[in-house]
Amino acid sequence: MRSYVLRRVLHSLLTLFGVSLVVFGILRVLPGDPAKMMLPDNASAAQVEELRRQFGLLEPLHVQYVAFLSSIVRGDFGQSFQFRAPARSVVGERIWPTLHLALAAFSLTVLLGVPAGILAATRHRTMFDYGSIFLAALGQSLPNFWLGIMLILLFGVTLGWLPTSGYQGPAYLVLPAVTLAAYPMALVARLTRSSMLEVLGREYIRTARSKGLAERTVVMLHGVKNASIPVVTILGLQIGVLLGGAVITESVFAWPGIGKLAVDSIFQRDFPVIQVVLILAAAVFIVINLIVDLLYTVLDPRIRYS
Amino acid sequence: MRTYRSRVSRRDFLGRAAAVVGGVSVGLMGLQASAAGVSAAGLDESSVPRLAAVTQQSGSSVVASMAERLLTMDPANHISIAATTVQRHIYDPLVDVTSDSRIVPALAESWEILDDLTWRFRLRQGVTFHDGTPLTSADVVYSLARPATDTKLQKNSVLGDISSVEPEGANSVIVRSRSPFGSLLGHLTMLGIMPASAAGREDAFFQAPVGTGPFKLTSWTLGEEVQLAANTNYWVSGSPKVSSATFRFIPEVSTRAAGLRTGEIDIIDRIPADMVSTLQNSPGVQVLTRPSVETQQWVFQLQNPPLDNLMVRKAISMAIDRATIVNEFHLGYAETAVSPIPPGLVGHVNLGAKVYDPSGAREMLRQSGVSNPSLDFILMKGVYTKQLEIAEAVQAMLGEIGITLTIKELERAAAIELRAAGNYHMFYSGWAHMPHDPDWYFGSWFTAKGAAILTRYNNPVVEQLIVDARSTNNAVRQQKYEQIQRIVWDEEEATIWPYYSTAVYGARDRVSGYEARPDYYVLLNNVMVG
Repeated sequence: MRSYVLRRVLHSLLTLFGVSLVVFGILRVLPGDPAKMMLPDNASAAQVEELRRQFGLLEPLHVQYVAFLSSIVRGDFGQSFQFRAPARSVVGERIWPTLHLALAAFSLTVLLGVPAGILAATRHRTMFDYGSIFLAALGQSLPNFWLGIMLILLFGVTLGWLPTSGYQGPAYLVLPAVTLAAYPMALVARLTRSSMLEVLGREYIRTARSKGLAERTVVMLHGVKNASIPVVTILGLQIGVLLGGAVITESVFAWPGIGKLAVDSIFQRDFPVIQVVLILAAAVFIVINLIVDLLYTVLDPRIRYS
Repeated sequence: MRTYRSRVSRRDFLGRAAAVVGGVSVGLMGLQASAAGVSAAGLDESSVPRLAAVTQQSGSSVVASMAERLLTMDPANHISIAATTVQRHIYDPLVDVTSDSRIVPALAESWEILDDLTWRFRLRQGVTFHDGTPLTSADVVYSLARPATDTKLQKNSVLGDISSVEPEGANSVIVRSRSPFGSLLGHLTMLGIMPASAAGREDAFFQAPVGTGPFKLTSWTLGEEVQLAANTNYWVSGSPKVSSATFRFIPEVSTRAAGLRTGEIDIIDRIPADMVSTLQNSPGVQVLTRPSVETQQWVFQLQNPPLDNLMVRKAISMAIDRATIVNEFHLGYAETAVSPIPPGLVGHVNLGAKVYDPSGAREMLRQSGVSNPSLDFILMKGVYTKQLEIAEAVQAMLGEIGITLTIKELERAAAIELRAAGNYHMFYSGWAHMPHDPDWYFGSWFTAKGAAILTRYNNPVVEQLIVDARSTNNAVRQQKYEQIQRIVWDEEEATIWPYYSTAVYGARDRVSGYEARPDYYVLLNNVMVG
């Protein structure tokens, strides 16, 4: 097991190295010049050239790439083009808001999505089942952007229950978290439901029932545990969905997180900041995947890594 | 082969995992609340900069939200409206500009033009920086010499014409320019005065800047929010009228407007015309408008055939129904242009609105010898209100006379690359005269040097007139600008200037003393709340 984890960590580092190459490459082929973005419309060629030199963009590509790698090793990630401040501090102060938002949305996904799926499966073909399928279809099909604005208008403007934007306390978290969780919550609810339906039809469930176990025990102990593998897989993948969704959700709610920073930085061609954000996102995704894979062994003793 | 043997039983683990997930979500809320508490106690604002706002909900604070993000606190290294706005609260300029484009004293109590190339500014006495050090001529010399000499700074492109800045005693400064610099005062309204002690440590200084302005910087989250506290020693008595102010940068207009409607935000800028009636009908909200100093311009790439042909440009101009665009898309919150320079600025002249004449346009196009031209119209995504709808209207109007217009709405970075390379026919743009002076505009767009990566405009006659218009004599300036405009507007049809924009702001009813500015600055010096 230990060697498996070690191997996975090594693979992860290799993947991150690959990601760094891809990110670096894409930014360099993307049309748009960071220097021109920072300068007035009529900036002279000399001014553009000077700024490109300051940004290190006149160096050959391999030199730029090595400088980029060494900035990662140093830990400062280079100097943000747009803010003229270390990219690490620019990104650093955005991590907490995004973490709060992602954790809240993930909690909603787990605490509402999974139980809803279980209940729908145990109440198969009832109004509750149909209702939750309908809501799940809605949650999966409404665009984040639109949903966010509608929630702002309903709960912020019309009802006045919740603040509309910003990041100042627990109440500010509610609407963005619900917006961000809508899609993964719906997906997880549907998946839990179908996984549970499959498991509940199995013979060992019939056996459990026939030996007189309480329905609650049958469902929770024998049902949920056996239905959990695909659900855990999808839950792990939802971290990626949450990071991606944060881009739009944070923009709608003026949430000072990494997603909004990513959008702004991409539009501004702020290479150092985009690079940190994307590599950070890739690292999070890789770590979560590793955790999910290790969780399998805990959930299902038949799974062994060697 | 080794198999994994857990020291924790699976059942234990699952139980604990469930507890952790539940705990995280509950703890999350607690974390937020306690973080707010820490900040309220003022213990560690640097790690939770945004949460400080919780403490500032007393009666005398104001929250303003702008669409554009603030990127820098360096007065000399931006040409941004948001940066000029926020910096105007922290720093003072030598001279200020009013909403009716009058230059008035600020840190300079008075000024005189000694000769065409020499200006003397007398500094106000008894002004101190936020850290208590008094303002002296050394500070002004430092602040002006930076952009005048450092070619890396963005404002060097305009203030580079200053040849020297020298102190004359502790309280006067002599500014010399290489050639007459009639727009100097206008440009100085955009430049905050920093303490000379910042010299050599600018990077650190701009993280915690100090000025003489009405507010002190409390905290800022890069690109997101700036918190200010009133400068109780401000040299203007009775200003500011609130104890704290917050700027939030929210590009998404629905979010900005929602915050205004709920009262979370007191003042917002850049309201599109179709949102005006919603806001006017919202209880507690007032809408304020003012004709702006911004002219929209759809520029031609003048060396890209067939636009090098004057008749084609004239045909395009005649085919565009500007009044319909102003009324249908801006619902009257814009004004059909009658010359490139908007009303109120030196040089404005009424040359008469362009006449909409589709049949004349068809005839003009026929005479030009160019048949069924196909043109690219480049838009920068998300920059101008209603731009895509307006471009589509123009597309239909030009279609009427047999011109095929292809609209390409691109990300700004990609669009300006195309423009620099000259690979376009028309480009959707605009110009807000931030210095309240047209010199910068013509220098940028109508000199061979400036236009080289823009429109490829090149006319030595106009270029000389632009130089002449930099005279320090306003009567001369007016005359020269009129001449320039007759050439580019009437004779050359060098650009389509469809309309002057209207600046539309929203404010809560409880806000008083807020002035809707024509330059889009959101100034809170005299704002009262409650």
